[in-house]
Amino acid sequence: MSMKFPGTCIVCKKKIEINEVGLWAKGIGVKHQACAEVVELKCLVCGGLAGCPQCEFSSDCDLTKVSQRCICKKCNNAKDAFISYQEAVVQKFPILNIKI
Amino acid sequence: MIKMMWSEKYRPKNFLEVIGNEDAKETLVNWFGKWVKGSKPVLLVGPPGIGKSTLATLCAKRFGYDLIGLNASDMRNKQRIQDILGPVLGNTSLLGRAMIFVDEVDGIHGRADYGGVETLIDILKEPTVPIVLAANSDKVDKMKSIKKVTKTIQLRPIPPRLLRLYLEAILKKENASLHIGTILKIVIESRGDIRSMLNSTQALVTGFEPQTEKSFLTLDVEESINAFFKAKSQEEARSILYSLRIDPREKIDAFYSSVITSHLDPEDMAKMLQVISDADITYGKIMKTQQWRLLRYIDSILLGLYKQDTAVRYSEFNLSWPLLNRIRWDGRAIKGLISVLAKKMHVSRSDFATLYFPYLLSCIKNKTLDLEIEEPYAEILQKELNSIK
Repeated sequence: MSMKFPGTCIVCKKKIEINEVGLWAKGIGVKHQACAEVVELKCLVCGGLAGCPQCEFSSDCDLTKVSQRCICKKCNNAKDAFISYQEAVVQKFPILNIKI
Repeated sequence: MIKMMWSEKYRPKNFLEVIGNEDAKETLVNWFGKWVKGSKPVLLVGPPGIGKSTLATLCAKRFGYDLIGLNASDMRNKQRIQDILGPVLGNTSLLGRAMIFVDEVDGIHGRADYGGVETLIDILKEPTVPIVLAANSDKVDKMKSIKKVTKTIQLRPIPPRLLRLYLEAILKKENASLHIGTILKIVIESRGDIRSMLNSTQALVTGFEPQTEKSFLTLDVEESINAFFKAKSQEEARSILYSLRIDPREKIDAFYSSVITSHLDPEDMAKMLQVISDADITYGKIMKTQQWRLLRYIDSILLGLYKQDTAVRYSEFNLSWPLLNRIRWDGRAIKGLISVLAKKMHVSRSDFATLYFPYLLSCIKNKTLDLEIEEPYAEILQKELNSIK
């Protein structure tokens, strides 16, 4: 919605000016449209979303700062998950599979 | 027997073993693959323990370069940089294929490093060999000029779940297991520092109450030193030692003061002092050669101090209280006496203390000199005379 009053984004703590597009909810506050989009990491193994909102580390992982490829719960729980992860790296980044 | 640290044992041997930051790794490998004389140097920016040095080492190995590693302290002044890098930059064909790796460039102090930054920037502008720089942060002002002449590659912290995956893989290799709560706690507390995560895990896995809330990560020096000597097994002592996260110098000093003030039989005392001496020498060599990663072996050396049921307890001071008191109070009185006598003899206090005072005492003792001393100093003079044999 277009803002009628100025406010402060509850995500980035920056100002939201009048007429700027933002999302507002009663009792919660207002946030920028971009800030409202859920940031989620990608699973390197299956290529899907990593399921960050349900992750056991959700409160300790700064999604905007960490390396953007992770592993989803399903791939993590699979047998030999670390080997699957390395195989996925080889497939997606063949240059990293060089012999040393 | 010295057990190898996991952070060293599992130091990645290829790029696949370095977890996370795949895009950054790809960029770095591409840069090395396409490197020609004059290519912009690379600046790796990322938090500690994420693998910046490891990546540089792996690249050097893969592309056949001889890595010349420097850190901020080598960048003190123009002359030092030229002494170290001059031969490398001037005779590339004579000295093989060299590659320069400067760690902790953000640690260079602008004012103290006379001409260091400027000389480094001059080298970065016209590189004749591949140059990789590493920094924990590129936000500080002094990095601005370095960033202008380099290509920045950001290494981000590793997502905690990926760290957990890696940690569980290591635990599997070690045939070890930890309670899930402990694993989560270690991962969160490591804050993306893989080295720290492995060290903490090794400390816990080696057997001392790994799954309880009160781990030795929270103990202070006194508690840790006492717990070390009270430990029931060497494994337990090791976990306490590894968990005591203080400066290695302080650690060695704490053990020295504790051992030297304890009542031990001469044989045990000699053995323990030998161990502390070995640790001290190693620490001195590390400081001299700046091979910081060897610091982790200090703990392995200090573990030699462990002997079950040893009567060593923590002491902050390396002398007994009566002796410390005497030094403190008598020292003050002697200083006063020397000050008065030096004035009378028209010499400096230090000259009087080192050159005159021993002879003066000797003369008084032999009764070849009778000195009239004011009352407050008579007592201390008598004490000093009594101490002469």
